[in-house]
Amino acid sequence: MSDSKPGAKLWAESILLQLPLRVGLGGVFTFAAYTKIGSTQSFANAIKGFRIVDADKYGHLIVVAAYTMPWIEMIAGVLLVLGLWSRASAVAIQIMLIAFIAALIHVILDESISADCSCFGDMNLVCESTVGWCQVIRNSILLVPCSYLVWRQGGLLALDRVFRDKSVGNEPEWTVDRE
Amino acid sequence: MKTLQRVLAIVGGAFLIGTVQAVVFGPVTLEPANLTEGTGEVKGNPIRISEVPKEETAQDHDPLPGKPTELSKNGLTVAYTGTNTDPLLDAPVPEGSLTLRQAKELWDKSAYFIDARHEHEFEAGHIQYAAFLESKLFDTDIARANAVMDSIPVDGTIVLYCVGGECDASKNTAALLEQYGYSDLRIMGAGYEHWVAAGFETATGSDGGTP
Repeated sequence: MSDSKPGAKLWAESILLQLPLRVGLGGVFTFAAYTKIGSTQSFANAIKGFRIVDADKYGHLIVVAAYTMPWIEMIAGVLLVLGLWSRASAVAIQIMLIAFIAALIHVILDESISADCSCFGDMNLVCESTVGWCQVIRNSILLVPCSYLVWRQGGLLALDRVFRDKSVGNEPEWTVDRE
Repeated sequence: MKTLQRVLAIVGGAFLIGTVQAVVFGPVTLEPANLTEGTGEVKGNPIRISEVPKEETAQDHDPLPGKPTELSKNGLTVAYTGTNTDPLLDAPVPEGSLTLRQAKELWDKSAYFIDARHEHEFEAGHIQYAAFLESKLFDTDIARANAVMDSIPVDGTIVLYCVGGECDASKNTAALLEQYGYSDLRIMGAGYEHWVAAGFETATGSDGGTP
């Protein structure tokens, strides 16, 4: 039964990497969601300002996105902090980050568009409010820990370990999530 | 497979909560405001009408050579056609908005001006007598937005501006003001930088901007 216990290396990885990355990344997204949830009108205006879709024809899509995206960030962020559905939360955040980067590059390359990021509502975190390469770099940096968590999941200190599916059996107890 | 299901569950949950939020707090609007065009029938600020001395008007302004290059920002192009036009004051603007000359004419008639740019931009410099009213204030600091609206009658002539060109900030604020009953809303197609380039009146500081 010696292999049923997680090794020191796994504990070290969980404590030194997975836990801080989960809390950090999840915290950033939870905070980003919090700044937007109370400012839906501003966020809808910000999405419209990106001119990804024609607001006159597809305004309903912008409205749906303005109401849904902050809650995706909130749910995924909280789940990642808790370490519950760690991989799925990290994947959701990863998809959003890639979408944000694509949208930012679209605005940067189209010089006729002058848009605000509104990534953190009314606040500016690291970058100015006006869309620029700073936001692209910031989001690209966030992709690194996110991709790591998609690969390695939440670690031994994640709630996934508590709520793991025991019915599968035949795997060491420290297995965090079976996909 | 389980990961995909969970991602879809997160998205679905977010959609449901967002729908409840929209039902409880009311939906957002992306409808543009009905804008007034031109410079006719101005209901300006009576205090300014009595206070402001006759100053340089747009008609007095000399054409400024070399400005077309600056105006090529934000996709605008300058078509100087010669007779009685000025490449700066009469530069092409988005449809339905005011040229710089028209905006100055309204300013001379004491129309209410609203700066819809960011607060730090407003503090760095704004059109004299303009009030700061970024659309975000309606979400983040409604008391401050109300203070500005309290100083403007609902039938007052309001000229909104931002950085010019295709910037949305003034349109967003106009759409929100329309919801509060304001009807005479006009957009200055030229931006603040163009106002400065023309040498018109400006002010600085964080003055809330009594129009």
